[in-house]
Amino acid sequence: MEAMLKVDGLNVNYGAIHAVRDVSLEINRGEIVTLIGANGAGKSSVIRSIMGLTKSTAREMTYISPRDSKPVNIQGKPAEEHVKLGISLSPEGRRILPQLTVEENLTLGAYIRDDADGIRDDMEYVYSLFPRLKERHKQKGGTLSGGEQQMLAVGRALMSRPDLLMLDEPSLGLAPVLVDEVFAIIREINAQGRTILLVEQNAFAALKAAHRAYVLEVGAVSLSGTGPELLDNPKVRAAYLGG
Amino acid sequence: MNLNIFVQHFINALSLGSLYGLVAVGYTMVYGILRLINFAHGDIFMLGAYFVYFATIVYHLPWAVGVIVAIILTTICGLLVDRIAYKPLREAPRISALISAIGVSFFIENFAVVVFTGMPRPVVQPAILMKPIEFSGGVRLIPLGILVPVVAFALVGGLMWLLYCTKPGLAMRAISFDIETTRMMGVSVNKIIALAFGLGSALAAVAGIMWALRYPRVEPFMGMTPGIKAFIAAVFGGIGSVPGAMIGGLILGFVEIMSVAFFPTLSGYKDAFAFLLLIMILLFRPTGLLGEKLEDKI
Amino acid sequence: MRRTRNLILTVIAVVLFAFFLDKAPEILNGYWQRILNLIAINAILALSLNLIYGITGMFSLGHAGFMAIGAYVSALLVLTPSQKNAMWILEDIYPWLLKVNTPFIASIIIAGLVAAFFGLLVALPVLRLGGDYLGIATLGFAEIIRILITNTARLTNGSLGLKGIPAYTTLFMSWGCLGVVLLCMVCMLRSNFGGVLRAVRDDEVAARMMGINTFRVKVLAFTLGCFGGGLGGALMGNLITTIDPRMFMITQTYNILMIIVVGGLGSVTGSIIGSALVTTMLEWLRFVENPITIGSINIPGIPGMRMVIFSLLLIIVIIFRREGIMGMREFTWDIFFPRRKPAPKTERPASDTVLEVRDVTLKFGGLSAIDDLSFDIKHGQIMGLIGPNGAGKTSAFNVISGFYKPTSGTINFMGQSIGGMSPDEVCKAGMSRTFQNIRLFGHETVLQNVMTGSRIRQKYSWWMTLAPFIFTDVIREDSAVKARAMDLLSQLGLEDFAYEKASSLPYGAQRRLEIARALATRPKFLLLDEPAAGMNPQESEELLQFIRRLRDEFDLTILLIEHDMKVVMNVCDYIHVLDQGVHIAQGTPDEIKANPRVIEAYLGKGAA
Repeated sequence: MEAMLKVDGLNVNYGAIHAVRDVSLEINRGEIVTLIGANGAGKSSVIRSIMGLTKSTAREMTYISPRDSKPVNIQGKPAEEHVKLGISLSPEGRRILPQLTVEENLTLGAYIRDDADGIRDDMEYVYSLFPRLKERHKQKGGTLSGGEQQMLAVGRALMSRPDLLMLDEPSLGLAPVLVDEVFAIIREINAQGRTILLVEQNAFAALKAAHRAYVLEVGAVSLSGTGPELLDNPKVRAAYLGG
Repeated sequence: MNLNIFVQHFINALSLGSLYGLVAVGYTMVYGILRLINFAHGDIFMLGAYFVYFATIVYHLPWAVGVIVAIILTTICGLLVDRIAYKPLREAPRISALISAIGVSFFIENFAVVVFTGMPRPVVQPAILMKPIEFSGGVRLIPLGILVPVVAFALVGGLMWLLYCTKPGLAMRAISFDIETTRMMGVSVNKIIALAFGLGSALAAVAGIMWALRYPRVEPFMGMTPGIKAFIAAVFGGIGSVPGAMIGGLILGFVEIMSVAFFPTLSGYKDAFAFLLLIMILLFRPTGLLGEKLEDKI
Repeated sequence: MRRTRNLILTVIAVVLFAFFLDKAPEILNGYWQRILNLIAINAILALSLNLIYGITGMFSLGHAGFMAIGAYVSALLVLTPSQKNAMWILEDIYPWLLKVNTPFIASIIIAGLVAAFFGLLVALPVLRLGGDYLGIATLGFAEIIRILITNTARLTNGSLGLKGIPAYTTLFMSWGCLGVVLLCMVCMLRSNFGGVLRAVRDDEVAARMMGINTFRVKVLAFTLGCFGGGLGGALMGNLITTIDPRMFMITQTYNILMIIVVGGLGSVTGSIIGSALVTTMLEWLRFVENPITIGSINIPGIPGMRMVIFSLLLIIVIIFRREGIMGMREFTWDIFFPRRKPAPKTERPASDTVLEVRDVTLKFGGLSAIDDLSFDIKHGQIMGLIGPNGAGKTSAFNVISGFYKPTSGTINFMGQSIGGMSPDEVCKAGMSRTFQNIRLFGHETVLQNVMTGSRIRQKYSWWMTLAPFIFTDVIREDSAVKARAMDLLSQLGLEDFAYEKASSLPYGAQRRLEIARALATRPKFLLLDEPAAGMNPQESEELLQFIRRLRDEFDLTILLIEHDMKVVMNVCDYIHVLDQGVHIAQGTPDEIKANPRVIEAYLGKGAA
């Protein structure tokens, strides 16, 4: 299997707080990898560091684009460069631009692209994944329900045609029915050839969807393995509910 | 008050208001994105007036060319101000950038005194703009009075088109809500901020040029009062909103001209109206007419 | 001991300086005497603006307006009737004003009071605004004042201004006024009330939770600052002897702002150093505007150059040395002597149901953050409130502590209904809290942070702090509060940090300091918002012990939000679980661990 992202010895400090301690992980092309753990375990900090939104230090942070298979050191690069390399992020809390319409939010997601036809096709593709968004394409982002906003955030992240799609808590605040729907769509996106890094608190849904997983506890990786392996591991439960 | 006089006042108010509006747009764009009162904006407006004065009167360029040269030079100045005085302070507390803005404003004004001297200089008005046109009902108007609002509305219309129908415009609106998310979409935030400064400065240049033609003179401190009033117009219209800034500017123009027209005894207090209007709106509708609410998080 | 030594040194310095002022007219020419006068006046103005902006954190651009009021009031009071008769040419002066005449000292005090009165009028509506809007609104007021002065010719002689004002501002007068202002200000800032002012600047939300009515404090500081502005304006008028409305344009405010930025926002010493520096340089730089002859070369003066150099300096200072010369530090004699530590001592308060939450719902727009929440807490309990992200835990805290008003439902705290009370009232009632993201008064010392918490339990009024040597209650109460604060710090193991800046503490210590500060308000009920966030396992373990000890030693009832389940399961007697605003479970830790709904909420469907 070809590696796509290699992170080695990642550390994040916020002032006196050591939020991420020496985290290493690897993502292979075509995989769904999930990073699970209780609240405050440092999951978002890891994904934000990879995206270049949070200051971090690492021994290595390399991205190998499937477009040219050249390894690029992405440490210290600003977020906008990442998008051009083919990485995109659907951030925690959705971060929909509330005053822009659904369509404008999606167009913004395709900011780095100039192929009007391709953008139109991708917008149709997003609408086919989330038909609800099509119905509301002229509505302002802020007027959508939580679930619709989540769909919009995922759709927006897809608009840059990323090779690596990172999703931060896509199930947060969603009703259980919707959670299933979101995970089904994540699998579908993956089946169409995109690699996915998924950060989740909803461990069981994430583990069922993922090929491999890392469990984060107080900023450090405490456990890793394939999805099915971890599903039955009692240590996972302990990581959430305190053994 | 006969029809002619009323129409004169009306056109006057419309011109003044649209000039305030043009300058206010620059304030509102920068404030919307950086939450910074660009105190130097009024002085950028002054530079626009001076550049056209030098281009046409000192260097004898034709008016059309002079105006374009002045707009370009003013835009460059606006960009330099951002690059030198504000960009290093993006991560600093907002108040630092504000003090820097005050410093820049001070600097430009006094630098203008040094270079241009403090003496007001007369601007020659092109005859074609000053020849009155007769309308029915005894109404006489000079073309300049009509040109100013027409140009201002056309420019603000163009800006709205740019904001609402183009990609950089979309990015600019997005930045004003959430810089980080916009960055995640692959937008180079600093370029867009520079674009906002550039556009604001160009509009201020146009306003400065038309202001110089109306009053016909230029002086180093001419941007101070209109600048502050235009900022008030921006707050009044709802800071961050481009149509709001234009509406705020127009309301301010009308209040100033009409109050003096109907109550001549109040003419000494003319400049106070803007501030009274500001304080009223801040107390009763702090977000302005078209503004969005910004909330603090605990 | 240290106090006496410092007092002696101060007296010596003052006497030496007075001696210098006495001899100054003989040593210095008129030019330098004038500069010396201006330094003192600018220092008064800078101190007063610093009180408003640097210390209390309100961005005001209206100082020139208050100076104008002061200058005009004083001038109108000291000018003789015959002078006034000669000056009002365009319009007649009001007859009552013609006759008014007071001694100089009375005139400057009245000037300050009138300015303060206008300041109060401005403050009441405008201080409800924050940040930049406040700056613009105050700038507007200053401009309105100037326009009023220009247009009320019968009162002010309009744009002609006032001339021939007696030059009462002597060196002793200006420096004497500065001395009094300085003494009052230093006394006030050193008292616990001064700590309150800085606390409002550093974190208004936390200050409210310490029982401080922050609006009232801000109005007070603003009004006091305006008094200083009026006083400075009055002295200025009587120094320059001519005033007119154009003197008090926004440029005047910028000058003062420059002084406090260069000196250091929030530093009294900085204002004085800044005033000396800026005033001297502004005068000295006049040479660039005058023609110079060096040998046979004539360099013509360049008008405007002075302000160009000055504005450049301001920009450079703000870009490269934002904190100015002094930052927020102050001069003390102690810098010449090493420091020693003081010593500490204990006490206790005592009811059954402490808190009763009934059917509380909180909605934002259409969305419910909390839906029909009810629970009780009994005296001495440690209760946990848990739930996944976005469950509404912090919203529940904000409702209980008065930051949000519940949309419906009631909250009773020790028999008193507190739904809809403001945070400072809730605090007075005996409740205190910490914050998820730690809200300390970062620029203050650890000790001062805790002392600020005690302010609501003190009896003296703010004005007594202006002259603590007369109102000795201030000194007595402050030292009692200080002793108690030291005591609290040592109980929480923070005594070694007492004189460190709060923001410089390690993370765990900051958490404990926030708790110490909350305890200083003498609460009976404590809310802890994620106390273990950001702690490593060993620190969390210590925290466990600490929370139990807190309950026992301070006789507290505790409600805590926590994500670290180890902490929650080990320390709480009873747990409530929220999920998406709905109360889904309650029980003992063991019951909660086995509850399928809880497991599902945390781990997802199918996990149980």
